[in-house]
Amino acid sequence: MTYTTQSEEETIELGRLLAREVLPPRGVVLLSGNLGAGKTALTKGIAEGRGAASVEEVSSPTFTLIHEYGDPPRVYHVDLYRLETPAQAATLGLEELMDRDALTVIEWGERFPELWPADAVWIRIEQAGGDQRIFRIAAANAS
Amino acid sequence: MLILGIESSCDETAAAVVEDACRIRSSVVASQMAHGKYGGVVPELASREHLRAIVPVVREAMSRAGREFGDLDAVAATEGPGLVGSLLVGLTFAKSLCFVHRKPLIAVNHIEGHIHAVIMEARQEGRAVEFPALALVASGGHTHLFEVAPDFRYRLLGRTRDDAAGEAFDKVAKLLGYSYPGGPVLDRLAPHGDPHGVRFTMAKMKGNPLDFSFSGIKTAVLRWVEQRGMSAEIDARRVLARGDQPVTTEQWIAVTPQATLDLIASFQHTVVSELLKRTVSAAEQISARSVIISGGVACNSGLRAAARSADFCAPVWFPSPALSTDNAAMIAAAAFPKLARGETAGWDLRAKANLVLA
Repeated sequence: MTYTTQSEEETIELGRLLAREVLPPRGVVLLSGNLGAGKTALTKGIAEGRGAASVEEVSSPTFTLIHEYGDPPRVYHVDLYRLETPAQAATLGLEELMDRDALTVIEWGERFPELWPADAVWIRIEQAGGDQRIFRIAAANAS
Repeated sequence: MLILGIESSCDETAAAVVEDACRIRSSVVASQMAHGKYGGVVPELASREHLRAIVPVVREAMSRAGREFGDLDAVAATEGPGLVGSLLVGLTFAKSLCFVHRKPLIAVNHIEGHIHAVIMEARQEGRAVEFPALALVASGGHTHLFEVAPDFRYRLLGRTRDDAAGEAFDKVAKLLGYSYPGGPVLDRLAPHGDPHGVRFTMAKMKGNPLDFSFSGIKTAVLRWVEQRGMSAEIDARRVLARGDQPVTTEQWIAVTPQATLDLIASFQHTVVSELLKRTVSAAEQISARSVIISGGVACNSGLRAAARSADFCAPVWFPSPALSTDNAAMIAAAAFPKLARGETAGWDLRAKANLVLA
């Protein structure tokens, strides 16, 4: 599945749509794309689409590593940007998060492919010039 | 009154003993401890790392303070925001100490700690931060503006919609090839460039005019770099960053062309202006009688210099560098007014990843 957006607002709206109609009720969603591709913006929409948080409440978890949205959490937002080794990523307790009844959205997860379950959903974001973004969505084992 | 503070919300395991909300009897941060065992460059991110450090760090804080657990009036620990697994280590250890030594337990919000670091240091100098105060807390993980009332109640006035200010510094440094975290490196290089050499246009935001956004400028720097084919100079810096020795400013300048120094200076100038513009306007809005700038980004010398010459309606307070970044003295300091009000926590206190101050 491929979607194209023309602005940050459209990326957030795509996140809402994916949360409601495309993504599974629980499991892992891996977002890949360069700095500024719109990973956090898409997650804003996903979290709001799941009724876990408002768009304003979702910010980058780069430093804090994991943000939880909803009580009990319905969306976990993980960012592995500043980690360097799979061992570091493995000590975050992500397996436990992935077992919960929630969606775990992971940024920069492509750097540690061995950590993710076979049924993870991959969303690859390409910058197509200006503010245009192309989102390619696939199951991990199909990519 | 003597309070032991414990902080374990993110990378640092820290403990400190503070007396009468102003005298720091000891302040120990694991990554800064001598003998290298905890001094690696790898972030102390996992609860396992906190678990390894918590006992020696607390013991070191008590011994440097020359006090016994029995001398304490309370134990304070960070309850959030942060990583639940990391927070739990500090909280559980604090609970155990309180249970065994029959002391009150006090839960502190990490962000409130950053604000109290400044209030505590003012007291040390025999001066007082006046209220209402406007507080900017800016670090790798947070960028918030709060109104602080005299009774330490808070009102959120603005916050980042995407990246934290410190995160923007670190990401730009990394994409330019400097070592991570690179905020301090950019700060050292910025005076060597022209702050008006590269013009960044900040997008107008809808909604709260006191909110911040730093994702756009990060992307603008990335585009600038991509358009100029800078991979050779970036590779040279990466090689330097990978070495075992700390890199001096002169060594960085030797592998940083003037155009890149101008980019860095312009980036820092833009981020600092964005921070100060909203801080000035928020201070006016609440008729602040003092302005507090705290968190790791408060170490930035460009921010400090610009704040001194900014048009603030009230005096500006910065913490010393050691109290700008994460530490436990600020957690102990924030606990004093809570202890005075009898705001102690029960044994059912939980770690709260998303704890908000207001």
